[in-house]
Amino acid sequence: MTLNIHWRLDPAAEPRRSEPGTEHALPAFIRDRRAASRNRFDYYVQVARAVAQTAFDGLFVRHRSEADESRIIAAIIARETPRLLVVPEFPASVGSAVYAAKQAATFQRATHGRLDWAIAAEENAASREAEADFVPDEDLRQRLDEFLTVARGVHRDRPFTFQGRHFEVLDGGFEAPLNQHRFPKLFLQGEDDGALALSARHADVHLFAPGPVNVLGERIATLNTLTAAEGRQVAAGLIQPLLVREDRDGAENDVQHLPLASGTLVASYDEAADQLAAYAAAGVTELLLEAVPTLEEAYRVGQHLLPRLRARTGAARKAA
Amino acid sequence: MSIDFYWRLPTHGCHNSLHTSGYERGDWSPLKPGNIAPGLGRDGEPDGFTYIDHLAEIAKAAESVGFLGGLIPSFPNTDDPWVIAPLLARETRSFRFMIAFQPGFGNPVHTARMAASLQRATGGRLLFNIITGGGGPAQLWWGDSFAHDDRYGRTSEFLDIFRGVWDSPNVSYDGRFYQLRGGGLPPLLRREEFPEIWFSGSSDAALRTSARHADYYLSWLEPFDQLGDKFARVKERTAALGREQKCAVRVDLVARATEEEAWRDIRIGFENVSEETRQRWRGQPTDSVGASRQAALRPTDARRYDELIVAPNLWGGFNLLRGGPALGIVGSYEQCAARLADLIARGADAFILAGTPHLEEAWRIGEEVLPLLGRQARTLLAAAE
Repeated sequence: MTLNIHWRLDPAAEPRRSEPGTEHALPAFIRDRRAASRNRFDYYVQVARAVAQTAFDGLFVRHRSEADESRIIAAIIARETPRLLVVPEFPASVGSAVYAAKQAATFQRATHGRLDWAIAAEENAASREAEADFVPDEDLRQRLDEFLTVARGVHRDRPFTFQGRHFEVLDGGFEAPLNQHRFPKLFLQGEDDGALALSARHADVHLFAPGPVNVLGERIATLNTLTAAEGRQVAAGLIQPLLVREDRDGAENDVQHLPLASGTLVASYDEAADQLAAYAAAGVTELLLEAVPTLEEAYRVGQHLLPRLRARTGAARKAA
Repeated sequence: MSIDFYWRLPTHGCHNSLHTSGYERGDWSPLKPGNIAPGLGRDGEPDGFTYIDHLAEIAKAAESVGFLGGLIPSFPNTDDPWVIAPLLARETRSFRFMIAFQPGFGNPVHTARMAASLQRATGGRLLFNIITGGGGPAQLWWGDSFAHDDRYGRTSEFLDIFRGVWDSPNVSYDGRFYQLRGGGLPPLLRREEFPEIWFSGSSDAALRTSARHADYYLSWLEPFDQLGDKFARVKERTAALGREQKCAVRVDLVARATEEEAWRDIRIGFENVSEETRQRWRGQPTDSVGASRQAALRPTDARRYDELIVAPNLWGGFNLLRGGPALGIVGSYEQCAARLADLIARGADAFILAGTPHLEEAWRIGEEVLPLLGRQARTLLAAAE
């Protein structure tokens, strides 16, 4: 099984970087000739190029309601990186599923099919209502189910007709040339059985949160059982925040200076490679790695951890 | 007073010339030697370019020759403007992206976030052509089953929220179509300039909604006096609300060194229209008032191109030659400039111009017609004094 390794950009991280007006000020005697047109997207593009140059397979862009929109970021960086896979994360509340699928079609056409989709975890009711989204908790899964059914349906079938509680299409579906690229691979997430059941029906990859290898192995087994019942195959992915350094002491020392996401893997490069290889052996085929600062850590992980990890998983593949 | 000139990005491919019906630019027609974006390389394999590369050329031509930006239309079989704009954001400098958008298709808060992000990425080069009309089968294709007047109510509420979350960090709204509790864009996004809103639609419901929300009322070309009356009505109605609204015309031009050359190109194009094309355009169902007005011209029944000359330099058969409105301007550079000046005299404050092929015609009209317009408009102003 090939292991695909992606980096994840959080557009709300390092908020002052390339953000005119909030950047660290230079003393007046330092001649400053930076272009007035520079903007935050310079930073996103820089991260994307770093990720491409350090041999990651793709770049995920998180959905953050307090920052720039992920699909806009994705299109901008895709045009500036010739080969990188780009995966914006967005919620099923964005609007019409037909329209989302149509935007994906243009993205694929313009980038030789380098778009995949990650669907964001649902936020709580108050946050949703601040987004003009009043679908109640108990209907959210149904809405996502319909959203994905319609998005994939209009891409695959012509004519396509659908009557659901949240979406409705009559005699729809794309024609050539809009339907000539693949539909984006779907990355879904969620820890409970309902989330796994939805993934079994729709996902190409189900993304798990960090946890012990044996626990993850059990969840993957559950996913596989549900998926087999649907007659499909769904890959297992892992979202893994990292704090890796040359040796463990260095990593543990830096823990004191950084706020860490829960489940962060604090380790040396070799230990981290062992741990991630163990996940791969347990059935994980898609890894989403993240660390801050996003740019420097992409280089660090790309240069030091990825070669070690690929050597281990490549060797494991040969042994099998 | 200044007049704004925009160009148009063809989002459904482009023809090599008005004489042909094939889309040699883009992949809406089969790939063959001579095609562009994608084309064939020396080895006969696809050359790796995609249609966005051709759109980039048109956008750069338009910004080089003096257009402020371009309309990016959206129909079922076009590429999508929300993706085209960010793709081209960093390889253009001043080109403004006019996104054609039907508000019903997006969540208003999320759409505002996308718009503000694009403003940040482009230095404020985004604006909208808000579309509500259309209807019938086309609207159901999009998954939208709202009745005509309901759609305008929804557009109006959408724009209330879209602007509301831009103006304030904490907005609540209780409408028929949308509710919102405590919403607002984050500070970095809110500090961007709110995009200009251009509004289309010819029905009473459209004019009412436009008067309330739009900066520009955009119309297809109509016979000049009829259009002048419509613009006067729009401005009057907006003034009654204590607001100001400007008026804009979206029109295709065939401008040549002489009038004879311009009509020759129209004649050849007309004679090359297939019966299949006429059939396709004949009786397309819609509940759009604007489209019905144009359909009254019946260009699909004409046997000779000159049956469709409805006034000097005004030809009503453009929709036979390419998608879009029927009426357009045909003439020498001087005549085209004079007709545009006539429209300015009838209340046009802005234009979206287009010509086929869009790349070469952007240069031609920018270099040959717009400079003459200066002289014509000055003469016009002098005569008025």
